Amino acid sequence: MPDYGHDLRFGSFVTPSAAAPHQVVALAELSEEVGLDLVTFQDHPYQAAFLDTWTLLSWVAARTERIRLAGNVLNLPLRPPAVLARSVASLDRLSGGRVELGLGAGGFWDPIVAMGGERLTPGESVDALSEGIDVIRGLWDTSTRERLVAGGAHHHVDGAKRGPAPAHDVEIWVGALKPRMLRLVGAKADGWLPSLPYLQSFEALARGNATIDAAAEDAGRDPRAVRRLLNVGGGFSADGGGGFLRGSPRQWAEQIAEVTLEHGVSTYVVMGDDPTTLAVVGQEVAPAARDLVAAARGVPAPAPAAPDGATADGEVRA
Amino acid sequence: MTDYGHPLRFGTFVTPSAQDPEATVGLARLAEDLGYDLVTFQDHPYQPRFLDTWTLLSYVASATERIHVAPDVANVPMRPPAVLARAAASLDLLSGGRVDLALGAGAFWDAMVSMGVDRLTPGESVDALAEAIEVIRAIWGEDGESELFVPGRHHRLDGATPGPGTTRRIPVWLGALGPRMLRLVGERADGWLPSLGRVGLDGLRAGNARIDAAATAAGRDPREITRLLNVSGTFDDADGANGLGGAPDLHGAPAAWVDRLLPLVLDEGVSTLVLATDDERTTRRFAEEVVPALREQVAHERAARGTDTSRVVPLAVRAARRDGIAYDEIPSTLAERAVEPGDAAYAGVRSNYLRGGSPGLVLRPRDTAEVVEALAFARAQAVTRDVPLSVRSGGHGISGRSTNDGGVVVDLGALDTIEVLDDAARLVRVGPGARWGEVAAALSPRGWAITSGDYGGVGVGGLATAGGIGFLGRAHGLTIDHVRAVELVLADGSVVRASDDENPDLFWAVRGAGSQVGIVTSFDLVADEVAGVGFAQMVHDASDLAGFLERWGATVEAAPRDTTSFLLVGRPRPGQPVVAQSMTMVDSDDPDTVLARLQPFAAIAPLLAQATAQIVPYDAVVSAPQPGSHGGQGEPVSRSGLLEHLTPEAAARLAGLVLSGDTYFFQIRSTGGAAEDVPADATAYAHRSARFSVVAMGASRSRLDARWDALADVFDGMYLSFDTDRRPETHAARLADAFPPATLDRLREIKRRVDPANVFRDNLPVLGPDPVDATTAGAR
Repeated sequence: MPDYGHDLRFGSFVTPSAAAPHQVVALAELSEEVGLDLVTFQDHPYQAAFLDTWTLLSWVAARTERIRLAGNVLNLPLRPPAVLARSVASLDRLSGGRVELGLGAGGFWDPIVAMGGERLTPGESVDALSEGIDVIRGLWDTSTRERLVAGGAHHHVDGAKRGPAPAHDVEIWVGALKPRMLRLVGAKADGWLPSLPYLQSFEALARGNATIDAAAEDAGRDPRAVRRLLNVGGGFSADGGGGFLRGSPRQWAEQIAEVTLEHGVSTYVVMGDDPTTLAVVGQEVAPAARDLVAAARGVPAPAPAAPDGATADGEVRA
Repeated sequence: MTDYGHPLRFGTFVTPSAQDPEATVGLARLAEDLGYDLVTFQDHPYQPRFLDTWTLLSYVASATERIHVAPDVANVPMRPPAVLARAAASLDLLSGGRVDLALGAGAFWDAMVSMGVDRLTPGESVDALAEAIEVIRAIWGEDGESELFVPGRHHRLDGATPGPGTTRRIPVWLGALGPRMLRLVGERADGWLPSLGRVGLDGLRAGNARIDAAATAAGRDPREITRLLNVSGTFDDADGANGLGGAPDLHGAPAAWVDRLLPLVLDEGVSTLVLATDDERTTRRFAEEVVPALREQVAHERAARGTDTSRVVPLAVRAARRDGIAYDEIPSTLAERAVEPGDAAYAGVRSNYLRGGSPGLVLRPRDTAEVVEALAFARAQAVTRDVPLSVRSGGHGISGRSTNDGGVVVDLGALDTIEVLDDAARLVRVGPGARWGEVAAALSPRGWAITSGDYGGVGVGGLATAGGIGFLGRAHGLTIDHVRAVELVLADGSVVRASDDENPDLFWAVRGAGSQVGIVTSFDLVADEVAGVGFAQMVHDASDLAGFLERWGATVEAAPRDTTSFLLVGRPRPGQPVVAQSMTMVDSDDPDTVLARLQPFAAIAPLLAQATAQIVPYDAVVSAPQPGSHGGQGEPVSRSGLLEHLTPEAAARLAGLVLSGDTYFFQIRSTGGAAEDVPADATAYAHRSARFSVVAMGASRSRLDARWDALADVFDGMYLSFDTDRRPETHAARLADAFPPATLDRLREIKRRVDPANVFRDNLPVLGPDPVDATTAGAR
């Protein structure tokens, strides 16, 4: 499937290094200063060299004003979903609606077990994620006062009070690679957030999109309800001979526009902790790519997305 | 009934209302502005009217600067303890040590179960909390293990790694009411945090008694446990609303509050009072009208009663103390960050990069005034007569020991600022605790660099007071040649500046023998413009080692000044060619220039691996490793020598040393070039004609010393900080190696003036290795 028509966003992927907490925070602040739309942090709660991602997100939220924040992606096995739902809603309320929920099923089971978590099979972990999403969405939904009953074998709430509601419709973005997870994305998630180095090719991206689209349609959803995000690595050089996101800012913009129009990716999260790269992406690549995409779509380039989610990008929410 | 003599602290207990988050955060800010020490939030994760407490705490810590934050109390059944521990450690790091962790066993089980938590009996929930404390403390590294196993029934660790390391020992307080919980407080916790409305005065008394008994039975001093108390109150006579529910504990005028609170402090031992209110006026009046009066009356009464208000030291820590240090007299400014052998942080500060140590006390001052205090304290200690004071910047000292056995270490790591003073003059002010890689990284965006050594983990202070033979040395001179001024704490505690214009004698001495004259607390350095550097690593076949050394030396000397090369020769292995590794830096970002400079080095001998050469920012070569603790063991064995040329004879004899196998690390750094432009008498480092600095490290002190002694005539001088020869009978010879006669005479004259007692005698002391009594000094 081609372009899903979402507005283009650009983000950073800052290593949450515990050895240099103030540098981590400074890179997040820089991400906002250079005009990026999103700052994200990986979440490996078993990794002793990293800061706790949720604490860091909360800290950064208080030191920024405009930029969106997300885990990339939060480790559900070590973050029970009922408390996570309230944490996300709380930070969304504290930050004026700037939090999105990147969520993963967990992958490194030995260290998860070392931290006191339970070992799940890959299949079980997908089920657990599905249950977790139901629990989270249920607790956020304050349109009814009915006590929430949701989840299943892994995550279960039975008669929980709902709320607080987030300040905006928080999107749930799922890190997924394999078909079962992709089908879950199509059925339930608001976004797909893979990493290009793991996908390894745009063919894999296309296959993933197709799986998601089919699953969305099976679930009665418009495939456009699922935002397509992508973690990408890159660097700038004059000659650009090195492939995807290795050339000049202009070449970056052209390559990004092409991937947006062909594969529907609309949020690019740039890995690496290089401040210069972030600045060039925010100040040069992002506007140029937006112009190219807008021209190809035949509409005026949209303004960068507002934190309250009130964008005019025509996206459809299931 | 007792007063534990703890310092009085005051906190607020703010309802974490989700309705108006800004107002909630505003109340925390108000508490900070009013001088409260602590802001706390209750934690009921099943309560949708509340914000998530951990999220709110983190946000509030970020939005404030001074005040501590704590959950009051954290719901442990709903917060997996291993993740909670890492979250707390992270918030400690982010906030600079402003988080305290109060825990509870959980209440309201129906609500918790509705959120997916397994129901526990009261007994089980206490067991679970005890396990959680074990998990949390283990993650914080308090067990000193690198792989963690807690085989609990409710909470487990099964091979987890401790970390991240915290800036301080985070206190664990427990909200407790029942006897089993109170026993747990006495056995394991750092504080007890009940609410007055629930525990009551009798309960407080009985609880303290239980805690004290449990603490004593567990081999702890009851004073190790802080007594905190949530209280509610209204200055109206009518009942006011408060977050704890029920009737307020305190009524009426401020004086009435003081009357009610005073006996809680003096008779029941409460020292931290946490006021539960969301009312701005009440928060303000408490801070302005109750706190000062209460403080005054408590201080007055404590003085009258002779209450022991000394810093609390756990009995286990006390038992590990060394002789000759008056630990209880450490100035309060230094006490909180001081580390002594029984402390959890001790493992991380005892050793340096190459040396194991067991100091009796590590003081970690944060500014010049604290350095003065630390020095005065260290001088006053009996142990400092026997064990020379150690001063540590980055902890890479080889002969500047930076740790010791039983003595005092002044660790300057916190004086690590890097600040540009003058853009046009490229003048930079750097603290001694910064590391050269951090300096390089800070200067790189401006296209500047300051030559240091060959490794970014080395601290500024030790290197910039000794010499600094670095990768840009031939191009830009020694590191000390970039120093324009220093701030220096002298042995008598006076703080002076030294430069060409102020205290020029001290300025001379600091550049080459700084460790002998005082503690430098900041350096003003001029950086060079270094756009980018060519950097090459080559692995050479050095089978003909003597010939190789000679040719490498000649190649360096023939190279323009923009080129500096360091050479490392590996220990010979049977049946394999001797391998030499060169690292060569060219002060140029022009590829043709770099290539032209490197080619002669590639031609010295066959290359055993593909040479790597690239043009990179200087800070890509001299980069700081992640900060962390040093894990050196034993004592390094290192010798140093300087020479002008690698003559055939010198090369042959150095090759003989390498081939003997008695050195496992053999390095030659090229120097000279710009370093030669400075007159020999301009700085206390006088070896301006030297073009090569040789360092050998060995496993056996006696064998390396014997080999090195036999090479004495090869060398002309040595680099002060790379030589660990400490034989009493060779002390004079080593001094003569380090300092030519005129330099040594001048140094001794300065030393007698500014450090007559020989306090700074850790690194080849010019007045000898022993302290000098005032009486003796006067007789000289």
